[in-house]
Amino acid sequence: MEKMFKYAINLVLRRKFRTALTSLGIMLAVMLMSFILFGMTDLKNVMLSEIETRFNPLDLYVSGQDNMSFGGMAVAPTKDGIKKEETVLTEEIKEKIQQISGVESVEPLLFINGLDMYLEDDDTPYPMKLIAASDLPGNHHIFKSFYGDKDTLDSYEMFVSKYVVSFFETTQEDIIGKKIHAKSSSSGSFFSAASKSMIDKEYEFTIVGVVDTGNDAFWVNNDTALDILVDLGGYDDGADYISNVGYFQLYVTTNEGKTKDIERYIDEDLKLFVISSDTILGFIDTFTAGLTIALILFGSISAIVASIGIVNTMIMSIYEQTREIGIIKAIGASNTQVLLIFLIQSSLIGLFGGILGLSVTFLLMKAIDPFIVQTLSTQGFVDIDQFFHFQFWNAFIITMFSILVGVVAGIYPSMKAAKLDPVKALRYE
Amino acid sequence: MFIEVKNLKREYKMGKEISVGALQGVNFTLEKGDFVSVVGSSGSGKSTLLNILGGLDWEYTGEITIDGKNIKEYDKNYYRRYIVGTIFQQFYLIPSLSVEENILLPIKFQKRDSKEIKERLDYIIDMVGLSDRRKHLPKELSGGQAQRVAIARALIDSPKIVLADEPTGNLDSKTGESILQLLQELNISEGVTILLVTHDKDIAKHTKKRISLVDGKNV
Repeated sequence: MEKMFKYAINLVLRRKFRTALTSLGIMLAVMLMSFILFGMTDLKNVMLSEIETRFNPLDLYVSGQDNMSFGGMAVAPTKDGIKKEETVLTEEIKEKIQQISGVESVEPLLFINGLDMYLEDDDTPYPMKLIAASDLPGNHHIFKSFYGDKDTLDSYEMFVSKYVVSFFETTQEDIIGKKIHAKSSSSGSFFSAASKSMIDKEYEFTIVGVVDTGNDAFWVNNDTALDILVDLGGYDDGADYISNVGYFQLYVTTNEGKTKDIERYIDEDLKLFVISSDTILGFIDTFTAGLTIALILFGSISAIVASIGIVNTMIMSIYEQTREIGIIKAIGASNTQVLLIFLIQSSLIGLFGGILGLSVTFLLMKAIDPFIVQTLSTQGFVDIDQFFHFQFWNAFIITMFSILVGVVAGIYPSMKAAKLDPVKALRYE
Repeated sequence: MFIEVKNLKREYKMGKEISVGALQGVNFTLEKGDFVSVVGSSGSGKSTLLNILGGLDWEYTGEITIDGKNIKEYDKNYYRRYIVGTIFQQFYLIPSLSVEENILLPIKFQKRDSKEIKERLDYIIDMVGLSDRRKHLPKELSGGQAQRVAIARALIDSPKIVLADEPTGNLDSKTGESILQLLQELNISEGVTILLVTHDKDIAKHTKKRISLVDGKNV
């Protein structure tokens, strides 16, 4: 067996260039597979730690509409595909939820959309025209970190996220105390044909703290938000706005052990949309599983293409080695031995492609890892040291997989070689 | 009687109803240690006889016994490994392997004690006069040297019978002469039975016995 290995290696090395080209196909398949195996677990881990940090298992988000935004992700928590009537989250509903036994607190959340945000002495508007509002303090756990002297918001005071700080190319220390100007577009919105009264409004805020909370970049308190929403929309007062439009979301904190029951009650009896950390975790599972399946599909297709390449190369080399096969058969190699020599050759091509693919992936991962870590961090994700984790067992599985592709691709050519008639093979020119 | 060939026939089917009789009843006997030539013009059935004796073609009728055993009783690979050694006109060396590796090629496919192999290799390489060419590749050898490698390869496993198919056909007459001499020496020193196939009657003069083939029959 050892001698046959040496002989097969000798045969493969005789065609270095072609072997290398054939291995490229396997290399690409292996690279795809490795990114899936090494990257997908990590992507999931990053998302999970993100959720676990930001989303307390005792928290529920309640909405009157069938889409909700959480940490920049839009999720549709409709259960069993049943479309519910959209409900206005009024003061009355908020109180109803507050009275459910086991509910610790209910915090209303508001959103103001469509204002251009300028930092003082800077004429570049912030690209996301969204202000979130709540009465939660800056050191609340939904914000991952807080920097500033004052962790509660008074009228027209504002928290900005780390992402805003880096967008305006300044520091946490420098941005505190600066003003933010929120201006309604002078032309009105193209899509919502703003009324005359909405045009040319301008509001000024003072930044008092920096929080870390994904894309929800600007935070004011609820009174300020209602003030602006009333002004923009032409409502009589805050109560008028809430009874007509309602709160955007309600942030519900529950007592331990009650979360599931409360979630079910809000969902089934109050017929509101509710998401819990379980919903989000389930969503992440579905998302990563779906992505993994899609990528594995791509990987498999490229593995199939690669194995066609191996079949082609092996058949070519049978034609080239026909006389040699004749010689070794004439001096006593059995069909099985010829078969093995060719199978070893094709598995060597697979192995070579596998090792090449793993090495390239390893280097690529090392090279892009700092960028991913930095991007995640500036995008407001939980800080991590490393995104890709090179796991020995996954590398081993991938190597075995590439050898298997080689062996499977080699079966037909090897059988063809083994069945060659020695008399004809010797006469072959 | 060491080798006995009785009523050996081989037909090739060329179409559904046409068949050509390449061998039409060949009979001969050889003694152990014989050095025999098989002479015949092209189309006389030389190659067919050689393929059958070499264990490459088993579609014949008739009977071949070697040392009292019908060769059809052997495993085909065993027969090609241990019973016959074949030397070809075109040498058929493997270009990427060295002289030594080419000679050892038959041993690649079997389990053998390495000390025993080494002794046999040293002895054979010395016999064919290539001791100073062991690590050379075939392309670095002359035609005569290449044929010596092929002879050494045929003998490495100490076969009972060596078949030589026009062994001097690709060589000039002087080199051819030396190869024939080598075969004669090996015939005596190794005591191996050699069957030399040629179309050249002058070459046949070197052998003790001669079998003439005409149209698939020996005369």
